[in-house]
Amino acid sequence: VVPSSLPVIILTAVFSLLPALILFWAYRRGYFRDLDAQSRIILEERDMQLERPWESPVERLTREVAHGPLVEPERGEWGGAS
Amino acid sequence: VSAGAIPEGGLTRVEIDAVASGRGLSPAELEARLRADASSRQVVLLLYSVALGWLLIGSLFGDLASFKLHWPDLLTSWAPLTFGRVRTAHLHMVNYGWATAALIGTSLWLFPRLVHAELKGARLAMLGGVLFTVGVLLGIIGVLAGVNDGMEWMEGNRWLTAPFLVVGGGLIGLSLFRTAAARKAEHLYVSVWYILGSFVWFPMLYLTAKIYPWSGSTSAAVNWFYAHNVLGFWLTSMSVGAAYYFIPKVLGRPIYSYQLSLLGFWSLAMFYSLNGMHHLVGGPIPEWMITTSIVASIFMFIPVVATGINLHMTVLGRFGALRYSPTLRFVVLGGLAYTAVSLQGSLTALREVNRITHFTHWTVAHSHVGGYGFVTFVAFGAMYYIVPRLVGHEWPSARLIRWHFNLALAGIAIYVVALSWAGVAQGLALLDPKLPFQFSVVRAMPGLYGRSVGGVLMTLAHFVFAYHFWIMLRAPRGAAGPTRPPFHEAQPLLYAVEEPGR
Repeated sequence: VVPSSLPVIILTAVFSLLPALILFWAYRRGYFRDLDAQSRIILEERDMQLERPWESPVERLTREVAHGPLVEPERGEWGGAS
Repeated sequence: VSAGAIPEGGLTRVEIDAVASGRGLSPAELEARLRADASSRQVVLLLYSVALGWLLIGSLFGDLASFKLHWPDLLTSWAPLTFGRVRTAHLHMVNYGWATAALIGTSLWLFPRLVHAELKGARLAMLGGVLFTVGVLLGIIGVLAGVNDGMEWMEGNRWLTAPFLVVGGGLIGLSLFRTAAARKAEHLYVSVWYILGSFVWFPMLYLTAKIYPWSGSTSAAVNWFYAHNVLGFWLTSMSVGAAYYFIPKVLGRPIYSYQLSLLGFWSLAMFYSLNGMHHLVGGPIPEWMITTSIVASIFMFIPVVATGINLHMTVLGRFGALRYSPTLRFVVLGGLAYTAVSLQGSLTALREVNRITHFTHWTVAHSHVGGYGFVTFVAFGAMYYIVPRLVGHEWPSARLIRWHFNLALAGIAIYVVALSWAGVAQGLALLDPKLPFQFSVVRAMPGLYGRSVGGVLMTLAHFVFAYHFWIMLRAPRGAAGPTRPPFHEAQPLLYAVEEPGR
């Protein structure tokens, strides 16, 4: 007879230790270096240059200074009808 | 070349050069992006179409199950339409048919973009999607016919359903891991961890729960180990991974704190698996297991607050964007629901709260905040962003988007408020030894009517969305859409920008 606690203890141990090992491996492989670059990897230069109508004049100016002249978004740019 | 609706490929060299130059990209970068998008197009469209089909049928089954709670004599003469089977079929359709398929589709589209590579084994992924769908279908037919394994969240018969789900899901996972191995991106974005984690966890969970015929109280323990973890390690992880992509992408700013996002992922990965036993408070398993699980549930504040802070602080000061982007509107509300449902879940695990809410409608309301308010809203938001990029033109109707959003939001709000109240009223009545059981039923009845009203509104929202999706697929490439954003007239409370002419 298997005690009711045993399978869950084993499963939980595997589910908790496996990520810990992968975390250690990933750290050693350098996957957590340069986190700032990682956070920006999904943003292309065009994403930063798009004119966003909801932004305040200051926010637009900040974007323009950092990324150059703003460009018009295309139709449906934000995931919906224009 | 039109649209945020970026076409899936087939451009001439001259067109690529022109578009790339307009977007500040090198032609090679743009071509790689177009190839990445094109590589997953067919399988994503297939999965989205299947998912929407299940959403419609699953919603109707959910409504029928809800009606039966206040009209108990409705359709009782035919066994497949009795409450136990209809409710279970609903859960399978919306969990495995809708949410799983929609989030796998979203992950398959996101992943090549995230790792800057084409989807490897796209045909295998397509085959995997078909097999997974067959498995879901057979499981539901089995449930309706009374053939099931009798374990909540995995009632599908192990011989009828499991082989298709395992092989189908495995092929999709294989495709993603091959893509990861062929990645060209130097850095791994946090969504990559969430997506890859999901495809490691789900097969481990499903196989351990299904392969061995657990029995007795062990069966209950393993059942809730699976059922709770499938939320955190499958639906939640894919949804949070998607939210971490769409919010920064639409807003054009990185997430508030990348370090917090990693803390959220790794603390979820290491500690979430301890949580499931809090579903068995008062049950026939060792008390220390339940206590450990309750403590772990409170630990969940760490990943939840880390993720919540990150998502909400990224949007802070940009609420005006909700007027322009249905994607953002759905995903941001989904993020709020994630924070709410997770904190609610941690508190519900406490014995003092659980003694009132256990075995009541509260639990159903709670699961819908997570399964619908969070997971489904994120899936809707993702589809609004992705589908135009798959078919090459924007959504045709701002009005249909508005109807979809408003009906879904009203539906889930009525549903959750009514059923949460009914659950507490029912629980308090059940705890009072002076009151007959019947009193707890009568007391909860208004909440059950509210549940049906909310459910019907959500179903209407789904039919609106499915119709919109259908005309979207049928519209010619490059078709022009409306001229104003769907929520342009709605002025958010926290929107502070003065627009000329307003």
